[in-house]
Amino acid sequence: MKLTGRARLLVFFAVPVALMSIVRLWSGEDALTSSDTIGASLRLSVPILLAGMAGLWAERCGVLNIGIEGMMIFGTWFGGWGAWQFGPWVGLMFAVVGGMLGGLIHAVATVRFNVDQIISGVVLNLLAFFGVRYMSDLAFVGQPGGGVSQSPPQTSAIPRFDIPVLSGGEVFGWKSPNILLNLEERGWFFVSDLAGILHGLTHNLSWGTVIGVAAVPATFWILWRTRIGLRLRSSGESPVAAETLGVNVIRLRYLGLLVSGGLAGYAGGILSIVASSYYRQGQTAGRGYIGLATMIFGNWRPVGVLGGASLFGYAEGVKLVANDAISTLFLFVALAAVLLVVAAVVNRNTTRGIVTAFVAVIAAYTYLAIDDVPESLTQSLPYFATLVVLATASQRLRPPAMAGIPYRRGESH
Amino acid sequence: MTVEGTRAKARVPLFVAVRLFAAVRRSGALWRCGVTVPPLGWVWQYLSMPDSAANGSASAHGTAPAVELHNISKGFPGVIANRDISMTVERGTIHAIVGENGAGKSTLMKTLYGLHQPDSGTIAVNGTEVEFSSPSDAIEAGIGMVHQHFMLADNLTVLENIILGAEPAKGGVIDSREAARQITELARSLGVEIDVNSPVAELGVGQRQRVEILKVLYRGAKTLILDEPTAVLVPQEVDELFENLRRLVDAGTTVLFISHKLDEVLAVSSRITVIRQGTTVGTVTPAEVTRRQLAEMMVGSDLPQPEPRTSEVLDRVRLEVNNLSVSRPGRRDLVHDVSFAIRSGEILGVAGVEGNGQFELCSALLGREHSSGTVAIDGKDVSHASVRDRKNAGIAYVPFDRQREGLMLTSSLWENNLLGQEEKFSKYGFVNVAAARAACREVISRFGVLTPNEDVPAFALSGGNQQKLVVGRTMSMNPAVLLAAHPTRGIDVGAQAAVWEEIRTARDAGLAVLLVSADLEELLGLSDRVIVMFEGSVVAELSPRDATPELLGSYMTGAKVAAR
Repeated sequence: MKLTGRARLLVFFAVPVALMSIVRLWSGEDALTSSDTIGASLRLSVPILLAGMAGLWAERCGVLNIGIEGMMIFGTWFGGWGAWQFGPWVGLMFAVVGGMLGGLIHAVATVRFNVDQIISGVVLNLLAFFGVRYMSDLAFVGQPGGGVSQSPPQTSAIPRFDIPVLSGGEVFGWKSPNILLNLEERGWFFVSDLAGILHGLTHNLSWGTVIGVAAVPATFWILWRTRIGLRLRSSGESPVAAETLGVNVIRLRYLGLLVSGGLAGYAGGILSIVASSYYRQGQTAGRGYIGLATMIFGNWRPVGVLGGASLFGYAEGVKLVANDAISTLFLFVALAAVLLVVAAVVNRNTTRGIVTAFVAVIAAYTYLAIDDVPESLTQSLPYFATLVVLATASQRLRPPAMAGIPYRRGESH
Repeated sequence: MTVEGTRAKARVPLFVAVRLFAAVRRSGALWRCGVTVPPLGWVWQYLSMPDSAANGSASAHGTAPAVELHNISKGFPGVIANRDISMTVERGTIHAIVGENGAGKSTLMKTLYGLHQPDSGTIAVNGTEVEFSSPSDAIEAGIGMVHQHFMLADNLTVLENIILGAEPAKGGVIDSREAARQITELARSLGVEIDVNSPVAELGVGQRQRVEILKVLYRGAKTLILDEPTAVLVPQEVDELFENLRRLVDAGTTVLFISHKLDEVLAVSSRITVIRQGTTVGTVTPAEVTRRQLAEMMVGSDLPQPEPRTSEVLDRVRLEVNNLSVSRPGRRDLVHDVSFAIRSGEILGVAGVEGNGQFELCSALLGREHSSGTVAIDGKDVSHASVRDRKNAGIAYVPFDRQREGLMLTSSLWENNLLGQEEKFSKYGFVNVAAARAACREVISRFGVLTPNEDVPAFALSGGNQQKLVVGRTMSMNPAVLLAAHPTRGIDVGAQAAVWEEIRTARDAGLAVLLVSADLEELLGLSDRVIVMFEGSVVAELSPRDATPELLGSYMTGAKVAAR
């Protein structure tokens, strides 16, 4: 069964929303699709999204980037320091530069000296962790509120805004109506859920978040529509072919890793500037690795990464805003899995049918049998979802063919 | 360089302009050419060329040859690949370069394409002496190369592969529509149809080759180098390729092609240069020589005969396959209901266009791929046995892709030779290095692997010598059943004969062979029976006496289906 554009949109967006609505009406947990939850999910998605984009840029140019976590750590530190010293915008710029520094280290190690890409990434993660601790010792210790594991609090923040008309933003002092909030509060099937989701996405937005999400269309446009993008992708698909056509693979790999580092750094900056108001050790909390998972989940494509990041961000958002509603997520998973079983039966795909049926049974059992879901279980939900996706869709994944393989100029045996 | 100063943004207008320029110059109206003015130095050199040189190298129209090589030498550490090579390629002709593997053909062409620089000697393109420090310089001078191993990115589309490095763009944004238009136009001039938006991964070998040719033409090449273009094609595809090339030549392009298939060379080329042991033996026209004379020029001695030899097929069935099918999730049957038996002393040939299930069939027989149906070796059912158990039961394999499946490229030859025989050469888990090295030396001498010693890494060997090592390793295991996939692909005439002889000798001693080959001559010459695979099924079974290449070709392409 091959779906065309509009049908895909329906399946991937409208059906889940409808399922959510059913779950909400069934269980009475309004928080699942409330704008608060969605707003929090958006904020939590963006760092993961950017980490995924960082992975995408690196692997598209042919270099594995396990070091995203480390680049994000650089981003949180430099961002936190810059924002404390010079204000939030300069802080974000410092975050990007800090991440690019990490990217450059990775590039010099892997592209110039052909260090194993995994090892270089792991070393970078360790280097970042201990490096920023040392720098904190120099910069933050002795300052009011600062210490070896955190920076002093920032005094100003990136401005937030509401979108006019839809979510009640102000235009030249005129307070526009808040249509979406109004609809959300009605509690109607589907319509209110949709309004809640859209309201969450359109109100109390930080410019930092907006810029972060803009990385998705920007990445797509640059990599798939421009000359430099095609050359960069060719460096990851077939560097030998690219070089025989006069493409400078080495330079493009440096470029790809710098962009990758910059995106990871920005993701770190979001954590220390937008999501909080100071740098704290361990702020990244493994989001760099989750970003890599979303990259695979998203089949190395920007929109797919967005989908994966939304999934992880939503799970985190629900946990943050409505911890009690988490058990209903299992009901959602069970219903979704039942639908997938039906799809698998229609497509006569036995493996997928069995896997999804198994998931449905587990999820339904969890919902019905366990009143108090342990936090560790809910936290693992997105990983579980990624595993299921990878297990059922891995045959269709198309990673860049030569990602991870060192390339030496003029060498083709 | 003559195209200096004409680096127009769009490459096709440049191509046209250059051709126009060539036409104008041929008519002798050099000074009237307002489109492109060649550098003065070139004119001077052209005018001051001595008469004898002009007679010797230029055509009757007075145009300079497309390519001239003078005394080219090129060495690599430990070997001299090219020595004092001189040759002249006339414009608008198909010029073949023949020679055994390791004779230095590819090295020479890489020199001409700027992939490396000659140690001494000069290259002249259209009469102008040039120095290429990279392929881009060669491309700029109008020379394009289609490599033996296609240089295509599978996940990118046809269009992306073709325009890569020379993208038509406005402000950095690729103008896909313009690119598609240009490519379609070029494809039409070549006489082919191609969907520019399909990923290369979905194309067959012949189509991929066309993409490679288009890639080169797109860059405005007027001299095309093809490195063994027919090695991977079936007869029909070969005919199409030559048809395409003739069209190109008629339009003024020069084609230089490397081959060791002498029949093709004699059929299509107007001049043939023979290279042996790194140096030119001579240049002849097809009318002057017979196939045999040409081959003797190539080898430098008497020729081995690939004639069929009658053999005694014994009754004992060594490999029996019943209703074997292989499928993968989401794919139609890769191998569909294949049954056959090979007896002791028998060679069963498998013909077919690559990708019609031969690879999966061999994988399934080896136990690398899950399959349904039964497989028995020497009467022992191994349908559910592991690869190791099947190997111990006597099956051995010469892989399709020596580099991917057969060798550890960065490891030494003796370690490569040890692969799969670790048990034989070790005791208590320790390898007997001296014995392993000795075994490798034996393979090297028995199969004539050209190498200084057994310590060099496998990637340092030429493709043909790598193949000899792989075949030698397999044969030295004394198997009961041999799966030989393209056992002589890319190896020279002498080694080919040696491999054939080894297979025959082993066959006469009772070996059963499944021979997968794209070389129909080899297939018909060696096999006792031939089956043809098409889309995973066996569509015909023939005796080599009845089978002609044409007949096989029509089965292989699905044009004809026989009842078995």
